[in-house]
Amino acid sequence: MMSEAKPHRKRDIFVEGAIAPSFIADNIAKHATRHDIGAHEIFLGQVRADVIDGRSVDAIEYTAYADMANEQMTAIREEAFTRWPEMTCLHVHHSLGTIKAGELCFFVFASASHRQQAREAVAYVTDEVKKRLPIFGKEVFTEGGHVWKQNL
Amino acid sequence: MEVLLFGLIAEKAGADRIQLDASSLDQLRALLSARVEGLAQMSYAIAVDRRVVQNDMPFTGAEEIAVLPPFAGG
Repeated sequence: MMSEAKPHRKRDIFVEGAIAPSFIADNIAKHATRHDIGAHEIFLGQVRADVIDGRSVDAIEYTAYADMANEQMTAIREEAFTRWPEMTCLHVHHSLGTIKAGELCFFVFASASHRQQAREAVAYVTDEVKKRLPIFGKEVFTEGGHVWKQNL
Repeated sequence: MEVLLFGLIAEKAGADRIQLDASSLDQLRALLSARVEGLAQMSYAIAVDRRVVQNDMPFTGAEEIAVLPPFAGG
């Protein structure tokens, strides 16, 4: 069971389909009322049309073990708020389903009073999500067929 | 017990959940290798109650077991 004493509640990071640029803009706009924020830092992951053995990636089909991924995300979030106490908010979203090359699939957004904390937190959270969240990506080729993506 | 499969491993098994009766993690690995063709040559992790575990442990049968191929988020 989740402890109620935890300062940051468990959330669902997953969204069906690509992340729209307008969603990102709206998210930034929502922070205008927070006058303690002096810096926003954002990471955006975009599906790349990799060429593998002569075939080019048309889309990635993302699936996830969502319950475990969200639990891992809660842990990463706690770590980040402990390490960068000046961070005021942290938002993470990841796509599920088919995301075409050129579309956005991953959005990490940290805000803090000063840039250093926001910058370091985004770099940390981005790397840890790639390492620790059970998210799986099937790279589907334009020419047919697929391979399974693997983070290095 | 029900075992959740994901990604490449679900594709190889032709199912995203299978029934196996394992009383320990090591026994589960052996049963999985027999059930999923080529698993022994693949890189995968086993999660028990949503945490990756490496060392052998007994199962009560109430655990949530998942077999996870390499992660590819981001």
